[in-house]
Amino acid sequence: MKSFEFIAPRTLDQVVELLPGPRDLKARDRVKLLAGGQDLLGELKEYLVAPEQVLNLKTVPGLSTFAERDSNYEVGALVTLAELEQSATLRRTHAMVAEAAGAVGSVQIRNQGTVGGNLCQRPRCWYYRHEQAVCIKKGGSECFAYGGLNKYNAILGGGPSYIVHPSDLAPALVAAGASATIRSKKGERTVELERFFTLPSEGAVTRENVLAPDEVLVRVDIPAMAGWTSTYMKFRERSSYDFALAAVALALRMEGGRIAEARLVLGGVAPIPWRCEKAEKALVGRKVDAKICALAGKLALEGAEPLAHNAYKLPLAQGLITKALRKLAGT
Amino acid sequence: MALDPLRIEDEKPPRPAASGKKWVRVTKAVNGIDTEVWEEVADDSGGPQWGARESMRLISREIPRVDGPDKVTGRAVFSHDVRLPGMAYARVLRSRVPAAKVKLDLEPARKIPGVLAVVELGDGEVRWLGRPIAAVAATTPEIAEDGVRAILATYEEQGFAVTAEQAAADNAPKVNSRGNVRALSKNTDTSEIDKALEGSPVRVKGTWKIPVQHHASLESHGVVVDYRGGDEATVYASTQGTFTIPGDAAGRLGLKPNQVTAVVEHMGGGFGSKFGMGIEGEAACLLAKELARPVHLMLDRSSEFHAAGNRSGGEHQIEIGVGRDGKILAFKARVTRHGGVGQGSGHPLPYIYARDNATFVEDRCIHTNMDSSRAMRGPGHPQASFSMEGAMDECAYAVGMDLLEFRRINLPEGKRELYMRQLERCAELIGWKAHPHKQAPDRSDAEVKLGIGFAIARWGGGGNGQCKVEVRIAQDGSVEVLSGTQDLGTGTRTYCASIVAEELGLELAAVRARIGRSTFGNANASGGSTTSPSLAPSVKHASHNARVALFEKVAPLLGAKASELEVRPGEIRVAATPSKRIAWKDACAALGPNGLSAQGEWQAHLAGNDIGGAQAAKVSVDTLTGEVRVLEMVAVQDCGLVLNLLAAKSQLQGGMVQSLSYGLFEERVVDPDLGLFLNANFEDYKIAGAQDIPAMKAVFEDDPRGVIGMSEAAIIPGHSAIANAIHNACGVRLREMPLTADKILMGLAALKKG
Repeated sequence: MKSFEFIAPRTLDQVVELLPGPRDLKARDRVKLLAGGQDLLGELKEYLVAPEQVLNLKTVPGLSTFAERDSNYEVGALVTLAELEQSATLRRTHAMVAEAAGAVGSVQIRNQGTVGGNLCQRPRCWYYRHEQAVCIKKGGSECFAYGGLNKYNAILGGGPSYIVHPSDLAPALVAAGASATIRSKKGERTVELERFFTLPSEGAVTRENVLAPDEVLVRVDIPAMAGWTSTYMKFRERSSYDFALAAVALALRMEGGRIAEARLVLGGVAPIPWRCEKAEKALVGRKVDAKICALAGKLALEGAEPLAHNAYKLPLAQGLITKALRKLAGT
Repeated sequence: MALDPLRIEDEKPPRPAASGKKWVRVTKAVNGIDTEVWEEVADDSGGPQWGARESMRLISREIPRVDGPDKVTGRAVFSHDVRLPGMAYARVLRSRVPAAKVKLDLEPARKIPGVLAVVELGDGEVRWLGRPIAAVAATTPEIAEDGVRAILATYEEQGFAVTAEQAAADNAPKVNSRGNVRALSKNTDTSEIDKALEGSPVRVKGTWKIPVQHHASLESHGVVVDYRGGDEATVYASTQGTFTIPGDAAGRLGLKPNQVTAVVEHMGGGFGSKFGMGIEGEAACLLAKELARPVHLMLDRSSEFHAAGNRSGGEHQIEIGVGRDGKILAFKARVTRHGGVGQGSGHPLPYIYARDNATFVEDRCIHTNMDSSRAMRGPGHPQASFSMEGAMDECAYAVGMDLLEFRRINLPEGKRELYMRQLERCAELIGWKAHPHKQAPDRSDAEVKLGIGFAIARWGGGGNGQCKVEVRIAQDGSVEVLSGTQDLGTGTRTYCASIVAEELGLELAAVRARIGRSTFGNANASGGSTTSPSLAPSVKHASHNARVALFEKVAPLLGAKASELEVRPGEIRVAATPSKRIAWKDACAALGPNGLSAQGEWQAHLAGNDIGGAQAAKVSVDTLTGEVRVLEMVAVQDCGLVLNLLAAKSQLQGGMVQSLSYGLFEERVVDPDLGLFLNANFEDYKIAGAQDIPAMKAVFEDDPRGVIGMSEAAIIPGHSAIANAIHNACGVRLREMPLTADKILMGLAALKKG
């Protein structure tokens, strides 16, 4: 990696003071934030970024709060994935979030990796990760995956970039209706996590979320989900540690054996966590049976446009939806 | 006369042995590819014997490795760990493009503070992606990397072909002067075989595709060259051939081979890719010579993938004709090897089966602008096994015959008993008898389906006379065994010590094994599973000679003849009068200050050759997600005398793991348009981890023969058994590895459509 200045700020004010201006897009990679480092170190070592300064968030107090009140959770950006995974309370009230945290990488990565880092991590597309491939994500003009080797790329929401968002946590938190709190010199703002992630066609194609150069994600709030059950199901090729080829975050509220409310968000298939509202609506009022599983799968993948090597993601995501529905319905 | 080790019918020596001599088939590793030759050697049958196995205390028992604690605590020093005073760290610059003329401006690198030396590698012509073209030595690894990146490389790019499809296309850029598609066999007349195929009532035809696999050794390739001027140097090398280093290094350092000592205390895996110093070793020598100070150069993981070898991929087009009785009547194959700029190891089809019939095999290779393949654990065999066992399975299902019965019919006469015994034992261990659907996939609506598959292996594993071993007994009773050999990871130190301890009636801890130094006795490179069958007999011989020499010294003290003595734990006694005894320490005290030194060389009768091996796999296939879980693998292996049952079991299990990983995950991915290696890292080049490993049973057969190397047989059949089990489970026949969920899902969809 290229040498850089390593700064250990003592307060959040110092952090935002060191960040570039809100419209200073050119400078945004000049300063990088270090949380667990599980993504940043890879980016540095592969020369995908070469910042002048790295700000260590671990020395900033107040970012590691993990608090629960009446099944509402306040999760600081530096809370580790292992903490979420191991929280018995969270597992009881928001199983999908705890399961998603536990599905990330390996034990070592979960011990180091943080909630904020996981949500803000960069794509894993092997073109993006190859220093020599100056793809559209890195300021080039082309998405090499589109006409190239795209087995792991998007089938939904793609164009002009076809990355998939790599976070396991994101689909589960979106399904939970979580919100993100963002800090800058101007103060704090809160966005629904569903609005936090941006499609390449709508936001800056070189970014995956709404964070401006002067902003830092400081907290995620998860609202209570009384009466809901949920699960996160991830398919990976290698069980030991791997990113999702497809994943499903599903939450259901059942009333008298029928679905009263549903939230369904897919991971690993689109550049953002892919909310399936049509499928959610179709589930309401229904019992979980083979027919409704098939219908939900069909609606969830509506509009999918597989590339040359990833048509398998359709049956895969549909299979996971079926499994998740059956699991929550206990059938 | 060089024989193809796979040709089972060539089993006789060229002529009768001369008086006092005998013929043995020895395996010689030539750059890791084993070649079997008949050799006439002294008839040593009267020499030392391994003795009765039931009376052994250490050999063939389960002995934890003597260097295990060092390795797990980090005390063991690998080449990577060597730190020397004044040592410089080196990094290499690799070509960014597959084919080019390159001009380098090294000055910007030289100007960086801390950069000590920069050398150019090669002649400015790049024929393969990632070829090292320069190296930088600096005071820290980070500065060396900065130096590498400061070099200005100007590429005059040429057209390239990084995939076989590109290379075989009309008007493809020429990879080399020999032509991109090169015939390796002469006969191209298929009229006879085609006739035999036409006359066969059942025919199976298909194309099998085999990806390029990487060795993925945990310790990367590299050396630390300790040269500080003057007329000697020490090279710490991560190599599977201690004695392949001094000559190479001496040439680059301007020294004589005997002025260079190679040290290989521990090395972190090679699997066939670490013979000689490689370009990286040459670079380190050039830098060390220029600087006259030690240079540390270990490849990073990306370089390891780009420029340190691989297992050749390929394509096998196979057509088999079968009679209604299950007998294979005709076998036709076209083998295409993908070995990059290299030729690739031979993929020996037809593999084991169907040798008594009409066979026709066309062999060719396609060159690409990628790193040359190298030998890799069982070169060529896992590739051949994949298509052959798959085709065998397809034939069995096509004629409606039990998978084992079909194999029995088509095994060669001399091998039938061995393989059927092993296959049936596998079948028993994996629960084949109770398996509900043996001759068809599970056609039920079950979401998760179970399947079982089988495959077999063949290997030579014989030794040869290239080891010189010394056993030293000191006056204080301490014992050392010395050999220059390297431990590829198989537990060499442990069996060296245990053989000597067994012979001398000592505890294992009483014998110190010293290996991995070219100033010790010569030893062969570890290729072709030849290490233990070459070394162990030599160690046995040396320890036998040491014991006999010690008896000569001790006999007068006991008032007996040397031939009347025997060892017992911790003592020497007169066999017929056990009360006449002398404790080990007292016996050694009689040796005087010079102690005792005995030499040993290879004893053909203490080694064996020619092994089989069978494996079976039980898998589950989730038809909703395409997920394959290997639930269980079993291996039944013959291998002569097992030196250390614990190490042998883990080696057999390691083979199963590596072949599972080959089957389920591993594949080099190269973008044909950009000419970029896309998964040259441990994230995207997927390798099985602990969670992917099934329950494994490793079973060794009682085998009265001497020591035989079996490591390579262990990796040959596993992935083939898994592919066959997938078909047995869900009906999807995968003719292309890796056997991933995407292929299974698409296969299931195709089956549904009919």
